[in-house]
Amino acid sequence: MTSAAADSSHSGSLSVFRPAASAGAGGFETFIKITADGAVTAFNGHVDLGTGIRTALAQIVAEELDVSFARVVVVLGDTSRVPNQGATIASETIQITAVPLRNAAAQARHFLLARAAQRLELPVDDLSIEDGLVRGRDNRSVSYGELIGGETIRLELSDDVQVKAVESYAIVGQSVPRVDLPAKATGELVYVHDMRVPGMLHGRVVRPPYAGVDAGPFVGTSLIAIDEASVSHIPGLVGVVRVDDFVGVVAEREENAVKAAAQLKVSWKPTPTLPDLKDIATALRANPSTPRTLIDKGDVDAAIAAAETPMQRTYIWPYQMHGSIGPSCAVADYRDDGVRVWSGTQNPHLLRTDLALLLARPEAEIDVVRLEAAGCYGRNCADDVTADAVLLSRAVGRPVRVQLTREQEHAWEPKGTAQLMDVNGGLTADGGVAGYDFATRYPSNGAPTLALLLTGIVAPTPAVFEMGDRTAIPPYDYENMRVVAHDMPPIVRASWLRGVSALPNTFAHESYIDELATEAGVDPIEYRLRYLKDSRAIDLVNAVAERAGWVPRPVWQEPVAEGDIVRGRGFAYALYVHSKFPGYGAAWSAWIADVAVNKATGEVSVTRVVAGQDSGLMINPDGVRHQIHGNVIQSTSRALMEEVSFGRNAVASREWGAYPIISFADVPKIDVLMLPRQDQPPLGVGESASVPSAAAIANAIFDATGVRFREPPFTPERILKGLRGDEQQAPPATPIAAPAPPTPNDRWRNPFVGRRSVAATIVALSVAAIGVAAALLPGRSIAPVARPDPSVYSAATIARGQQLAALGNCMVCHTQANGVVNAGGRAIATPFGTIYSTNITPDSETGIGAWSYPAFERAMRDGIHRDGRQLYPAFPYSHFAKTNDADLQALYAYLMAETPIRAENRATELRFPFNWRPLMAGWNALFHRAELLEADPTKSELWNRGAYLVEGLGHCGVCHSPRNAFGAEKTNAYLAGGFAEGWEAPPLTSLSRAPIPWSEDELFTYLRTGESRFHGVAAGPMAPVVRGLAGLPEHDIRAMAVYLSSFNDVAITPSAQDELASKLELSTGTRTVSASQIGARLYEGACAVCHRVGGPALFGSRPSLALNSNLHSDTPGNLIRIILHGIASPVSSDLGYMPAFKDSLNNDQVAELASYLRQRFAPDKRPWVDLHAAVDQARRAASD
Amino acid sequence: MTEPPIRLNVNGKTHDVAAAPDTALLYVLRNDLALNGPKFGCGLGECGACTVLIDGVAARSCVIPIEGCVGRAIVTLEGLGSRDHLDPVQQAFVTEQAAQCGYCLNGMIMTAKALLLRTSHPSETEVLEALRYNLCRCGAHIEITRAVMRAAGHAVEAQG
Repeated sequence: MTSAAADSSHSGSLSVFRPAASAGAGGFETFIKITADGAVTAFNGHVDLGTGIRTALAQIVAEELDVSFARVVVVLGDTSRVPNQGATIASETIQITAVPLRNAAAQARHFLLARAAQRLELPVDDLSIEDGLVRGRDNRSVSYGELIGGETIRLELSDDVQVKAVESYAIVGQSVPRVDLPAKATGELVYVHDMRVPGMLHGRVVRPPYAGVDAGPFVGTSLIAIDEASVSHIPGLVGVVRVDDFVGVVAEREENAVKAAAQLKVSWKPTPTLPDLKDIATALRANPSTPRTLIDKGDVDAAIAAAETPMQRTYIWPYQMHGSIGPSCAVADYRDDGVRVWSGTQNPHLLRTDLALLLARPEAEIDVVRLEAAGCYGRNCADDVTADAVLLSRAVGRPVRVQLTREQEHAWEPKGTAQLMDVNGGLTADGGVAGYDFATRYPSNGAPTLALLLTGIVAPTPAVFEMGDRTAIPPYDYENMRVVAHDMPPIVRASWLRGVSALPNTFAHESYIDELATEAGVDPIEYRLRYLKDSRAIDLVNAVAERAGWVPRPVWQEPVAEGDIVRGRGFAYALYVHSKFPGYGAAWSAWIADVAVNKATGEVSVTRVVAGQDSGLMINPDGVRHQIHGNVIQSTSRALMEEVSFGRNAVASREWGAYPIISFADVPKIDVLMLPRQDQPPLGVGESASVPSAAAIANAIFDATGVRFREPPFTPERILKGLRGDEQQAPPATPIAAPAPPTPNDRWRNPFVGRRSVAATIVALSVAAIGVAAALLPGRSIAPVARPDPSVYSAATIARGQQLAALGNCMVCHTQANGVVNAGGRAIATPFGTIYSTNITPDSETGIGAWSYPAFERAMRDGIHRDGRQLYPAFPYSHFAKTNDADLQALYAYLMAETPIRAENRATELRFPFNWRPLMAGWNALFHRAELLEADPTKSELWNRGAYLVEGLGHCGVCHSPRNAFGAEKTNAYLAGGFAEGWEAPPLTSLSRAPIPWSEDELFTYLRTGESRFHGVAAGPMAPVVRGLAGLPEHDIRAMAVYLSSFNDVAITPSAQDELASKLELSTGTRTVSASQIGARLYEGACAVCHRVGGPALFGSRPSLALNSNLHSDTPGNLIRIILHGIASPVSSDLGYMPAFKDSLNNDQVAELASYLRQRFAPDKRPWVDLHAAVDQARRAASD
Repeated sequence: MTEPPIRLNVNGKTHDVAAAPDTALLYVLRNDLALNGPKFGCGLGECGACTVLIDGVAARSCVIPIEGCVGRAIVTLEGLGSRDHLDPVQQAFVTEQAAQCGYCLNGMIMTAKALLLRTSHPSETEVLEALRYNLCRCGAHIEITRAVMRAAGHAVEAQG
């Protein structure tokens, strides 16, 4: 493979190298290269994870080499070019990895300076360097480039290089703007997600159902079969790839790869049940482990036995996510002569080793090019997706880009592991620490690259990593102390996350010492200082206390409440000790956190953090400050709200609602205190400021409430439980309420059939009997005709017919999904079986081209096919019969003028006896009246026009009226609400459950635009109805609104609507305490962006849930359907689109969400019952 | 299956795109028009990384099909400015060093731009509300807020 570096062949260079540790890199590794044009390239084996090390490393090189910062280009992580310096972990880039680079730069400077002295014939001490130009007396000077000339100079990196004294630093220690930001702010920087190579295809993977579990005999062995035919219709599909449990699809276009992955039918064996991870303590205690004593000094057992006040505590840490904002992505180009991948990996060289194993090819044939990616804070799926891309590229023989989905990244990223810390100890009689017996359990390993496991190349045996020991020894000089790490294998896929085990261990250490101080009646900072011997630590603690204006608090005092709010302040300190035990320290860090706790809702707000840090020499102080900000914000998020949820056998948090992270609204004010220690060696700053977080916040919550919280996240439900004890728990998410009293729905009678008397009904029944008998006779066929010549109809007639077709929504039923308009084939589910709509284009054989007008009119008025067969009343001829002749003729003209389409009709699938068409004659006799609508002279002309449209071709009652056992509309419960295609068609009368009654104007607006601000947007089968109505003039829409509004006996004025809306929105504007907190989080993460009142302006409408009819309905069906399937085809694009959540939320989550939305936004309505069944049913129904 | 191309107006130029009408705008911007500013983050409209302007309003391009964009003016991060000619909002983000990994940056800048198009001098509360549903995992919130305040013409105190 050739390197991308553009070497200038006719000029020389100077490079500093060392022999490679492994043979793969071609025998040597280069750190610095200076070319004759004066350009400097620095090579480092670590990668920039968004922390700005590219900038800091350039500063270090520029400083040691005495060149300007702008001259230095830093190359990171490309395996064919950079030294193998291991994974970018443990905040060690600056502290460790930069050391040889700095030495190399210094070595090059010494070499060039010596050469300049020779060239200028001056002693070295008389020379100075300015941006690569060596100057002596008398304006004599020579540049680095000139010194190199055409020579190729290679210096082996020396162990013994004199680097610059800190006092002489001019570039290091200055805040330098990040080199990458202008390109990132303009979309010009190529992230790995943006990498495109010629001929590249798009891949997606389909992961097994054991989402987020990577150990156990079922891993790699669970796939039963793939039905490739299930995706064969997808355009541009290139391949379906399977290797054991590894499954992927490849397509020419990305959206088609997305479709293929979603639609590919794969069957899997059942997946075993996970331990119950809601109870982490039990799960971790049950996980097999090996104790490893890290320290045992004094006599711990005797000291604790003798303690005046024994104190035994357990602290629990949850599973958390790295939560990269960009799901991982990679491009691979597999060829016989070599493999090249473009990856966002954190450890290019280790990945290359994995890929070699996966492909059974030597490492030298594999080139990993590292490109920037979304921040990862430990380990995300970057390596996994690279291996996925390699497998797909190998299978299809072309370069393939693989983008993981949000759901895959959430489910499969190696989690930051749960952890369990037991502390036994207590106080002596004089308030001292009697003993400290600390045990920590950390179930994590390195999370092997997934493809290796899924393909069976690496056995899915859980390995044990000794990583629970980070900062396991507290920073305090306790006389009697024992620390034991119980090393154990992972339970679910887990790996290091920022702060690794040090953050949970410190949570325990710093919570416990706070408890000791309280028990001893000593100020918690003073108490710590008694046991802190490290002078830099003491300086930092004092500086932070002073900066924050810490007031000593030896005895806990209940704060003065401001309403429901109580405020508190907490302290915590840590020296982050990382890497292989005993490890070494990164920067020192201390926090003082201020919190406000709402005792009524349980919400905790971290209002301010004073974060102090001693980082030694800060290469780029602004960069350090940003790292501290980032750590404070991210770790506050982890402490307050982050916890992975699990289902029976897999990770359940698959989007940001189920795994919320902090938003702008909740970010604390941060006061950063950076101790000036420029004379001390630089220390890692990437993680330290996270480490004290959770303890400082927990200690502040204690200060506010007097209650200790020993298990983050400090969610509202946990706080309420802590404050109130176990009583007053939130009610179950889906309460079992008593069945509702039946709502009388005979409030409104159809104004046109309501006058039928009992006698008339008896007559009708008699006629029905005769009808059934008569129907046994064969129907009369009307002879076929040649298709009428459309030119006999005037354009105005055809246009009028088109409007009427729109009103009648012919195409809604007579067109199947993605099918040709009016060519039929749409399945219409009825309680009696499935009916398929027919072809009503003017095709003579399969459509209605051979139908004369009398045949058409008979069908419309009497429900009889041209050939004499009875039609089923799914075809609403009872309504159409009310249409006048002129309109039917115009409709006929329009239909005949359309393009004929040949499309065979499909047989109905009705159950006996309904499949016996003559029976319909009896139905007709009972329920059908083929009469024109008679105007009601007591009503306005507009009302009568509306009645004609609604009752006739509009056939609103078909969906919006309940039906009797025979499937006929109930005349005495007119427009009282019905069901259509599994959707609820809500009542259009004053029986409406909508919190704001429908008014004429709102009906008009809704029918015209598909949206009423007081009710919501049209969705499901109503969306195409409103789209169809677009063809009708304003006057007709107004008439329909006038007619329909006459079924509401409460007239409401626009101002009253506004007032009521404001009232409802205000009263439901805040989180509902009693409802499902899981639902609350899902709402905030998934729904609120588009639905919260007063939320950000976004393309499309913002339906207000407090006013939405679906939330106030007796049944949850419409809401659940919309959550699952979204709104892909709104009435118009102006309304915007709603995504489908069916692949992101499981049934439990949808049920929790629906339950929460109901309780919050329709608080005066009964909770819905049987939500799980409703979700299950809606999931099985097709999307709209 | 050949469908008629769909005509889109992006950054002032007209493009005829040969993609299915239900294709998410994001995929077309990135793959057909090579505009890498908008990023794929969640596909659900939750995180905001894919934000573009449609008719001057912030829009989450991962959940909007191209058929809904016909006849509308689409602007991406690239349409605001380039490294040599930064838009004032982009400039404010660079000045405030308002990114770490930068993956969310597109959404932050585009959402801020949309806010400033409708409210020229938003308060800090309005800025925080506008950005509330744009997720950042690195914790660059403070710098981002400062950048938007700067772009909105507020004096931003030096940090120190």
